[in-house]
Amino acid sequence: MNEEELLKRSAAERDRIFSCYDRGRENGAEIDPWEDPAYEVYHTTDRYGFIHDKRLPQKMDQNEIKLHHVEMERVKKWDKMNKHWDTTATKEKLRRRIYKGIPDRFRGEIWIRLLGITKLKHEKVGKYEEMLSLARQWSTEIRQIDADVARQYRDHINYRERYSLKQRSMFYVLAAYSMYNMEVGYCQGMSVLAGLLLLYMDEEEAFWGLSVLLADKKYSMHGFYVDGFPKLNRFIEHHDKIMTKFLPKLKRKLDKCGCDSILYALKWFFVVFQERTPVSLGLRIWDIFLLEGDRILSAIAYTVMKMHKRQLMTMESLDEFCNYLQIKLEKDFGYDDDTVINTVERSIDELKRSKLDYPGPPLPHEIPRQPFGTFKEPTFTSKVGRRADEFSEAQQLMRESVVQRRQTVVIEEESRESSATPTEMAMANNCGANSSLGGSKFSFDPSLADGCCASPHGSRRSLADTSVTSTADLSVFSSATRSQALDNSLDTQSNVSVGSSGSGGLPTPRASSHQPSPDIVRIYVPYGLPPGPTYKDELPRTLPRSLETNKIRIKVDPDQTPIVESLKPFVLESPELELELDLK
Amino acid sequence: MIDVTMANRGTAQRPNGTQGKICQFKLVLLGESAVGKSSLVLRFVKGQFHEYQESTIGAAFLTQTVCLDETTVKFEIWDTAGQERYHSLAPMYYRGAQAAIVVYDITNQDTFMRATTWVKELQRQASPSIVIALAGNKADLGNKRVVEFEEAQAYAEENGLLFMETSAKTAMNVNDIFLAIAKKLPKNEQAGNASTSGQGRRLVESEGQKPATGNCCK
Repeated sequence: MNEEELLKRSAAERDRIFSCYDRGRENGAEIDPWEDPAYEVYHTTDRYGFIHDKRLPQKMDQNEIKLHHVEMERVKKWDKMNKHWDTTATKEKLRRRIYKGIPDRFRGEIWIRLLGITKLKHEKVGKYEEMLSLARQWSTEIRQIDADVARQYRDHINYRERYSLKQRSMFYVLAAYSMYNMEVGYCQGMSVLAGLLLLYMDEEEAFWGLSVLLADKKYSMHGFYVDGFPKLNRFIEHHDKIMTKFLPKLKRKLDKCGCDSILYALKWFFVVFQERTPVSLGLRIWDIFLLEGDRILSAIAYTVMKMHKRQLMTMESLDEFCNYLQIKLEKDFGYDDDTVINTVERSIDELKRSKLDYPGPPLPHEIPRQPFGTFKEPTFTSKVGRRADEFSEAQQLMRESVVQRRQTVVIEEESRESSATPTEMAMANNCGANSSLGGSKFSFDPSLADGCCASPHGSRRSLADTSVTSTADLSVFSSATRSQALDNSLDTQSNVSVGSSGSGGLPTPRASSHQPSPDIVRIYVPYGLPPGPTYKDELPRTLPRSLETNKIRIKVDPDQTPIVESLKPFVLESPELELELDLK
Repeated sequence: MIDVTMANRGTAQRPNGTQGKICQFKLVLLGESAVGKSSLVLRFVKGQFHEYQESTIGAAFLTQTVCLDETTVKFEIWDTAGQERYHSLAPMYYRGAQAAIVVYDITNQDTFMRATTWVKELQRQASPSIVIALAGNKADLGNKRVVEFEEAQAYAEENGLLFMETSAKTAMNVNDIFLAIAKKLPKNEQAGNASTSGQGRRLVESEGQKPATGNCCK
C-alpha cells in the first residue's frame, strides 16, 4: 500500500466512526447486541459458561472472595506442577491437589493428562476422521444422537445455539464413536460425557476421552452402556449392600415407598453425577472420578445419601424422594463443595474398612468383545431403524434382575410386617446378585412369592450362610435352591448383613470374614418351603433329604480343593440344621 | 374442552370442601425418544414447558391429583426413557400399571409405528384391564404434520384406545387426556383387583401395594 492509499484509508475510517456518532441510535444504527448493557447473557452466565434464569450478583460475597484467593494461590502451584509433570514431586502431590479441586483454567489440560488422550491421539492418527467418514455413510444411531445433541446442555453458552460450533462437535464425536465401538453404538447418557469433555477439550480429544471412559478398565463405562446394562446391576446391588449396612433405616424407608435404587442411581452412575448435582460440585466429582476411576461411584452415591439422610427420613412418598434426589439436589446441594468432597474421602475410608469400597473389576460380559474401529456393515433392521420385537438375552437378564430385586424387597417388607417373631426372619439381601452374571439363567420363581404371601408365616425362611472353598458338593440341595446357590456361588463379594439391617433378626450364621475371592461358595438353605405350584421349568420339587435329618453333608475332595475356611455347625431356631464336613 | 380442577397435591380436600373418594392409579408414559413424554408430564404436573427438556436417562416419577365429580384421582406417573436400549427397564414401570399413555410425534411417521408396537406390547404383557391412551404430541407443529389425525384415530378405535392430539408446548389437550383416562378408570372395589390378575399380579405385590391399597378407593 502506498502512502496515498494509507492516507485514504485513515480518512475513510475517521469518517465512518464520525458518521456512527452523528447518526446516534436512530436512522439504521448498526449496534451489535453485546455492545449494549441489555445484553443479558453477560449477566446471567456463570464462570463455567452456564446460563441462569436470573442475573447473577455483580459482586462476590466474602466467601467467594476467599475461594477466589485460594484458587489464585492454587493456580500458581498447579502452573509449577504442570511444567514438571513427570516428577516424583508431582506424583506425591497430585492426588491431594485433585481432591482440593483442579483450578478451572487447568481442568482441560489435566483431564487430558488423566485420560491419557495425547498418547492415544498420536498412536491413532487419522482414526477419528476415518470413523467420522464411516459414520456419514453407515451409522445407524444418527437419529437418536441428533435428538439428544439438540437438548444436551442447552443452558450452556457453547451449546445454546442450534448448530453452534460445540454442538456440531458433540454430534460429530458421538457419530464417530458409534462406528468406533459398534457394540455400544450410541446410548442415551453418552451425550452428557461428550458434552462435558468438549467444554474442556477439542473435538478429537473429546472423541479419545470418550473412548477411554468406555474402554479403559479404570472407568469401563462400556458395561453401563452396552445392551442389557450389565454393569449397572452390579453397581446397584453394591449400592444396596452399602445402604443396608450403613443406612439401614433409610434403606428400609426407601424400600417401603417403592423407591428402587435404580430410580435415582442409574443416572448418577451413567453420567457420573452430572445434571444431578450443581455444576461446580459436578466438576469436582469429575476431577476425582478421572483420577480414581469407577471405584469412586459407590462412595459418592453413599455420601449423597448419608449427607441428606435427615431430610430424606422425613419424607413419606416416592414422589418426594424422586423430587429431592433428581431435582432439588441439582439446584442446591445444601453443602459447599469442599465439605462434600471431604465427606466423600471419609466415606471411602469407611467403605474400605468394611471392604465395600469397590464393586470389583468388570466382568467378562461388561468389557468390549470386538476390536475397536473395525467396520462391520449394519444389518438391514438396524439400518432402517426398526425396533426389535423381543428382548435380547442381555436385556432379558437385566429385566429379570430388576423385577427380582423388587420382589426381594417386598418379601422382606412383608416379613417384617407379618412376622410375629421377627427373629426367624432372615433373608439374603443380595439374592439379586446372581443375575448380574452373564451366564446366569436364574429367574424369580413365582411360587416362592406366592407361597409367601398366601400365609402370614409363609415367608419365614431362613438361610444358612457359610463359605467354603470351591467344588463343594451341592447336590444335597433341592433343585430349587440349587439354582440360587449356584448363582450365588459366583457372587464373590456378597456379605449377608441382616444383622445390621435393623430387622432385629437373629444374626445370620456366617463364616468368619474373608477376603473376597473368586472361589467362595455361598449356600442358602431354606426350610419348610410351602407347597406351591410346580416350577415353570418342571424341575423336581422334592425337599432335600438333608432336611429330614437336619443335616447337610458337604464333601470336599482334598485332591482338588484347598482348605475349608470356616464351617462350624450352627443351629437355627427350628428346625435344627447341622452342617457336617466330610473330608476324605 | 373439559373443565379440569387440579387438587392440591397430596390432599383429598375438594375445592368445595366436601370429602370425596380418593383413587390412586399407576400410569406409565411410553413412546419413542424425543416425542415429548417428559414434556407432557411436566405440563400436566407443573404447568410448565421447557424448550430444551433434557433427555430422560432411566426414569422419572411424579404425581398429580385431579378432581372428577365425587372422586379425587391421584396419578402416580412413571416417565420412561425412550431409547430402545432402555426398553428392558420399561416392564418394571408398566407392570401393575392401571393406565398408560403411548406418545408419538405427529411430525414423525416412525414414532407412530413405534407407538403401535408399544400398544401391542402392553396388550400382550401388561394387565388386561389397563386403560391405554394414544397421544399424538407436538400438535402445534401442524405445518410439519405427517401422521394424519384420521389415521391415528382409526387405529385407536380398532384397538379400543383413548386418543387425542396434544401439545405440551401450548398445553392443548394435556389435562384433557389425563382426565379422560381418569374417567375411564374403574373406581370401585374391583378396580385394583383387575390389575392383580395374570401377569400384573406379582408386580402389583412387588410394588409394595398390599391388597387394601392396591385397590384404588379407600
